[in-house]
Amino acid sequence: MNTPRIRTENLSKRYKGADKFSLEKVNLSISSGDIYGILGPNGAGKTTLISILCGIFEPTEGSLSYYRNSKAVSFEQFQPNIGYVPQEYAFFEELTPLQNLEYFGAMYNLNKNEIRTQSRLILDLLGLKKVVNDRILTFSGGMKRRVNLAIGIIHNPSVLFLDEPTVGVDVQSKVAILRILKELNQKGTTIIYTSHHLSEAEAFCNSISLLDHGKIIVEGSLKALMKEHETQNLKDLFIRFTGEEFRD
Amino acid sequence: MYKFWIAIKKEFSILIYDKTGLAIMYAMPILLVFIITIVQDSAFRIVNENRISMLIVNKDKQSQSLKLVDLMEASGLFDIHKADSLPVQDIKQYMLDEDYLTGLYIEPQFTGSLVAKATAVSTDMMLELGLLEDSLENNLAASSLQFYHDPVLKENYCMSVINMINAILKGVEGELLINTLCEQLGLEDAPAKLKEAMIDKSTPVERNVATTSNSNVIPNSTQHNVPAWTIFAMFFMVVSLGNNIVKERLNGSFIRLKTMPTPFYIVLASKMAVYLLVALTQIAFVFTLTKLTFPALDLPQLTLPDNTIGFLLLSVVSSLAAVSYALLIGSLAKTQQQSYGFGAVSIVIFAAIGGIWVPSFVMPGYLQMLSMVSPLNWCLQGFYVLFLKGGSWAELIPVLLGISSFVLLCLVVVYFKLKKEKII
Repeated sequence: MNTPRIRTENLSKRYKGADKFSLEKVNLSISSGDIYGILGPNGAGKTTLISILCGIFEPTEGSLSYYRNSKAVSFEQFQPNIGYVPQEYAFFEELTPLQNLEYFGAMYNLNKNEIRTQSRLILDLLGLKKVVNDRILTFSGGMKRRVNLAIGIIHNPSVLFLDEPTVGVDVQSKVAILRILKELNQKGTTIIYTSHHLSEAEAFCNSISLLDHGKIIVEGSLKALMKEHETQNLKDLFIRFTGEEFRD
Repeated sequence: MYKFWIAIKKEFSILIYDKTGLAIMYAMPILLVFIITIVQDSAFRIVNENRISMLIVNKDKQSQSLKLVDLMEASGLFDIHKADSLPVQDIKQYMLDEDYLTGLYIEPQFTGSLVAKATAVSTDMMLELGLLEDSLENNLAASSLQFYHDPVLKENYCMSVINMINAILKGVEGELLINTLCEQLGLEDAPAKLKEAMIDKSTPVERNVATTSNSNVIPNSTQHNVPAWTIFAMFFMVVSLGNNIVKERLNGSFIRLKTMPTPFYIVLASKMAVYLLVALTQIAFVFTLTKLTFPALDLPQLTLPDNTIGFLLLSVVSSLAAVSYALLIGSLAKTQQQSYGFGAVSIVIFAAIGGIWVPSFVMPGYLQMLSMVSPLNWCLQGFYVLFLKGGSWAELIPVLLGISSFVLLCLVVVYFKLKKEKII
């Protein structure tokens, strides 16, 4: 039996002043060691869901449970274990990768030595060794994405949230990012990620939830879902449940 | 503590990178203080120290008019140029051609008129005292001095010059009257000492500055401009810090921090600490530089206040006001352009109505009321208390409390705005 990491029950979110719910009665269960894809068309509620899961927003209704060693813990107890990689370049471009990692590492409760060791290791892993002391302003989009990821994993999180981590990057950077994420997962990190790239998600995830109009349409193991719904790939599954109409 | 230190280090690194922001924060106040003080001091000297250029056309050339001109020259207030042969109708053109600010035309019968007037007054006095039995025919020929002035001279300046001439003229008339009286009383040989005593025994007017301290620091362009433009530059950090806040709000780093086990107050406190230090170093930098260089530039010396603790406290509170205002703008603005535009414009307006450019006491009443809404004005009032009014705690404490309330208000608004955005 899989060890649970995060569970939601009837999780709903309505933003202040909005007519309808952005998320409605979402029930999902993410197990330890999963690479869990939250997929869906534009405006489906993916970013809202991931933001609630990592504590940025509070749900309007429903409950959210976090587990550590199969034991339910509060968000405050769980928080030091999570890493978050937003879609935006959420760092300081005037500074160098090392300076950014020093800052965010400290904010993740790492001490000076841990920051130094982890920074070198991760920047090396992400192919940024030669530019550790260059200002990020001069970096390409792919390099900035890798810095964004480095910040999210500097403290070796046991649960990593990624919101569109490969959007707008070159193939080489995308391959490097996914390879590192796979390695992290093999070391035990649970990964929860959103993406528009269905072929990427198909190759990367082992479980998914398909979200549309704020509701989960299907959830479960990717292989089992494709088998159950007799589809050749994730794209067919996606189109079957979300239709071919434009989503703006 | 390690987190706070690292957060300060990060803010400092970003600040150092922003060379334009640094230039605005440190070079701008220095330039403004020097330029405005030099300009204002020159204007001040034209009015108060430079001698007034005056063209005198004396068509009388008799004893009393010559005495009047001599006394005017001796007063040291006028730079006199005599052109007695100039026809009266050419005076205006001559003044324009030769750049004279003022002119004085003395009519041909000036002395005669003054003597006749003195004789008439003296005779009336003798009659009143019963020392004369019969009055002489009293035909006073009215004579006046014609004063000319450059059209750019302000009304109050012209009136001041006329009053100076009048004061000297009164002295001439007074002396003439006493001499005439002495003659009529048969005291032609009255000792000069007696005449002098009668003429010069005017009551002296002593000048005092209304401050509560014993030091009589005279308000001048330095005492106003140095604190005023330093305050302006301190509040101008809204451009740098405001943008910093908006940028971090919009690029998601604030939101990212929310997922980390770090209270957000550490982030805000580190920003406040670094920019507080910036504002305090601005004060130290501008005040030290002006203190050292102004005398060499022949500008009035900056006199530092006796109340050192009050000065330090006011510097800290004013700096906090500038930092809090920048945080407020940074948290309210939706874009960096908004923060930059509104932040900079609001400070210029606050400076204008707050007495930074022109002291608020010379403004119309309604503008003086309006100046109360400017935080720059409150800070400036505090520096006035210290630099010009002796720096008593009784006057300083209400100012400090007012500025502190402003700081608190800004921080409360910042808190609720960031709370609304789910950052805190």
